[in-house]
Amino acid sequence: MEAFRKRLLEFLIPPETDHWLAILRVGLGVEVMLYSLSLRTDWTYLLSGTIRRLAEALLSLESHFIPRLGWFAALAAQLGVDENLLLFTAWASLLVAGCGLFIGLVSRVSAIVAWFVHLCAAKSGGFMSYGMDNFVTIGLFYLMLSPLPDQFSLDWRLRDLRPKDPQFLGFWRRVLQLHLCVVYFFSGLAKCLGSGWWNGSSVWRALIRPPFNAIDPEILVRGKYLFPIAGILICVLEFGYPFFIWSARTRKVWLVSVCAMHVAIAVTMGMYLFSLVMIVLNLAAFTPAGFPCRTNRSVYNRRELLPDVMSS
Amino acid sequence: MTVRAATILRQRYLHAAWLALHLLLLISFSCRETFRVVAEGPTIVPGWFKNFSQKAQTFFSLALGQKLPASNPVREALNTYVNVAGIETGYGYFAPNVPSGYKLVFELHHPDGRVEYELPSVSSAAAALRIAGLLENIGRTPYDAMREILVKTLAQSVWHEHPDVKSVRAILGSVTLPNVREFEHGNRESYEFLYAYDFSLTNQPVKPHDR
Repeated sequence: MEAFRKRLLEFLIPPETDHWLAILRVGLGVEVMLYSLSLRTDWTYLLSGTIRRLAEALLSLESHFIPRLGWFAALAAQLGVDENLLLFTAWASLLVAGCGLFIGLVSRVSAIVAWFVHLCAAKSGGFMSYGMDNFVTIGLFYLMLSPLPDQFSLDWRLRDLRPKDPQFLGFWRRVLQLHLCVVYFFSGLAKCLGSGWWNGSSVWRALIRPPFNAIDPEILVRGKYLFPIAGILICVLEFGYPFFIWSARTRKVWLVSVCAMHVAIAVTMGMYLFSLVMIVLNLAAFTPAGFPCRTNRSVYNRRELLPDVMSS
Repeated sequence: MTVRAATILRQRYLHAAWLALHLLLLISFSCRETFRVVAEGPTIVPGWFKNFSQKAQTFFSLALGQKLPASNPVREALNTYVNVAGIETGYGYFAPNVPSGYKLVFELHHPDGRVEYELPSVSSAAAALRIAGLLENIGRTPYDAMREILVKTLAQSVWHEHPDVKSVRAILGSVTLPNVREFEHGNRESYEFLYAYDFSLTNQPVKPHDR
C-alpha cells in the first residue's frame, strides 16, 4: 500500500522544469491578445444589451456566483459610469493582461486578470460562446494556479522573482495532461458514435457549413475520396490520444499529428483562435522536456524539485 | 521527518486529493454529455443502449446535483466551480454528427415601399463565428419567448443601421446542406422556413408566424 501510494504520488507530482509553463504562459498570452484584438470592433455590440442580460439570467439559474460582466455593469450604473466605458475597460484589461502574460510581467496578476475578465465575457456572452472560450478558461485556470513566474519571464529576469512552490511544476503539468486526455477521449468517442465520421460525410458537412466554409466547396469536392480517410483519422487520433500520448515511442507522432489536425482546422474552417489554444495546450502538456531551446535545469536544484519526503 | 518535509508531504496529499475530485467532476460531466448525445441520437449504437443512456444521463445529473433546486448551496457551489474551471460542458464538438446551421434574414420595409434584405452583420470573422453560435441557440431553443427576444434584439441593431425603415420582418430558417453526390449534381445549400417575426415602428412584434 505504501509502495502504491509512493508510486501514485511520483506519477502525480513528478520532477519537472518550467519550460512547459513558459509555453503555456506565452501561448495563452498570444491567444488572449489575438482574442481581444479580433473582437475590438464588435466587443460592445456582442456584450451589451438584452442578449447579455438574458444569458446572465440563465446563468443565475445555475449559480449566482459565476463571474459575469453584469456585476460590474450594475456597479457602474450605480456610480453613473457609462456601460460602454465599462465594456471598453474590460476589453483593455484583457488586452493588457494578454501582453503581461506574453512578456511575463506581473505574470500571476496577469493570469488572474486574463482568466477573470475572459470568463466574465464568455459567461455573459454565453449564447455566442464556443469551444475556444472553454479551452481558454481551462488554460488560464491552470496557468494562474501554477508556480509562476517561469525562468523565461521578465519577472524572473528583471524583477528577480521566484515561484513559491517549484516542486509542484510537475503536478500542474500532469493536471493539464490528464485533462487533455479526457477531452480527446470523449471528443473521439462522441465522433465514433456518429456514422458521418466513418463515411466522411461529417468532414464534408463541417467544411461547407457556414461560417466555417473557408474553402470553396467546388475545390473541396475534388478531394471527396479523402473525406472518409480524414474522418476515420480524426476519430483514431482523438480516441487514441490517451492511449498513445504517454508512450515515448508514440508520443511524438501523436503530438505532431494532433497539432497538424488543429492547423488543418484553422486553415480549412477559419477557426484560428480555437486551433491556436489547442496547439498551445498540447505543446505545453506534452512537449518533451528537452524542447529545442537552451535548457537551464540548474535554476532549480534537484532537492527543490523532488524533496525526498517519501523516504523520510 | 523534518517540519519542512512534513509540510511538503501534506501539500502533496492535498494536491492529489484536489486532482482526484477535479478529475471525477471532469469525467462525470463528460460522461453525462456523451450519454446525452447518445440518448438524443442519431448514433450508430443499438436502440436498447439509447434507453440505458437516458437513464445514465439522469443518474449523472442526479449525482452532479443538477436536479437539486436552483437555490441549493451545494448545487450553486458545484456549478460555480465547474464553470470557473471550464469543465461544465462535454467535449463532443461536431459530434456525433455535424448539425445543420440556421440563417436569419431581415426584410426591411421602407416607407416608400422598397424592400431590402439584411443579414446580422459584424465586422470581423471572429465575431461572425459568435453570431453563428447565437443563431444556433436561437434555432434550437424550445422556448418561443426566448427566441423572440433574441431575434428582436438582433432586429433592433439592424434598425439602428437603417433608422428610416417602417417595419422589419425577421425570417429564421434552417440550412440544409447537400451531400457530396447532391453537390456534384448541382444542388447547393437550401433553406427551410422555421419562423418569422414582424417588428413595427412601435418596436412591438406584430405577429410571430410559425412554420
